[in-house]
Amino acid sequence: MAVTTAPEVEGGPIRQAAGKLSIVMFSGTADKFIPLGILAQAGAAMEMEVHVFVTGFALQAFTKEPGELPFPAEFAALAPAVAQGMAAAHVESWDTMLRQAKELGAKVHACSTMSAVMGLTPGDFSDLVDDVVGAATFLQVADGGETFFI
Amino acid sequence: MSTPAVQHTLVDSRGSSCPGPITDLSMAYRRSKVGDVIELWATDPGVTSDARAWSDRTGNPILSLEESDGKIVVVIEIQRR
Repeated sequence: MAVTTAPEVEGGPIRQAAGKLSIVMFSGTADKFIPLGILAQAGAAMEMEVHVFVTGFALQAFTKEPGELPFPAEFAALAPAVAQGMAAAHVESWDTMLRQAKELGAKVHACSTMSAVMGLTPGDFSDLVDDVVGAATFLQVADGGETFFI
Repeated sequence: MSTPAVQHTLVDSRGSSCPGPITDLSMAYRRSKVGDVIELWATDPGVTSDARAWSDRTGNPILSLEESDGKIVVVIEIQRR
């Protein structure tokens, strides 16, 4: 198991991360962003090193002008109930959860090739994104840990 | 040189859903030192298993885990940082 350090939080000493979770975020619909937020935040809270590699249709949501995330057509009828249920259960929005994960040390990497495909430069991304990297870099940081594809 | 006193920190995560309570626990953990005790209050039923998982992963034992009237109270001793 690879062991690395996580950044300090509120003056606490640097500690060792327990395992590693990497998430390839490819999908661009609102439903898929819920597990992204929950797993990234849960992984970081479990003291794991967390990396999110943003590519494909997910990339737009990480820009400074993300627009509204579409809900997939086959579940569109459920969308209002899901939104209502999430509010009632006090489930945070995906970006709030991801920010919480980042506060605990998670890193978000945007895919360089998909950025080029979408005509996006590093300056187009929101502050959620830590850097723009290639797939080889992501595979290197993900090496030795768990990797999920969403 | 004097040793700083052991702290008992109360973390109230009642009303917060997974992974909120375990995140609050993690934040308190990062501000803690070896020997401290963290007491987590939660209402999300997932906390019972999540707290055990967090304890196993970080190597900090659960001193007690009680549930009554939907309120879960987990007391964890910080042994590893």
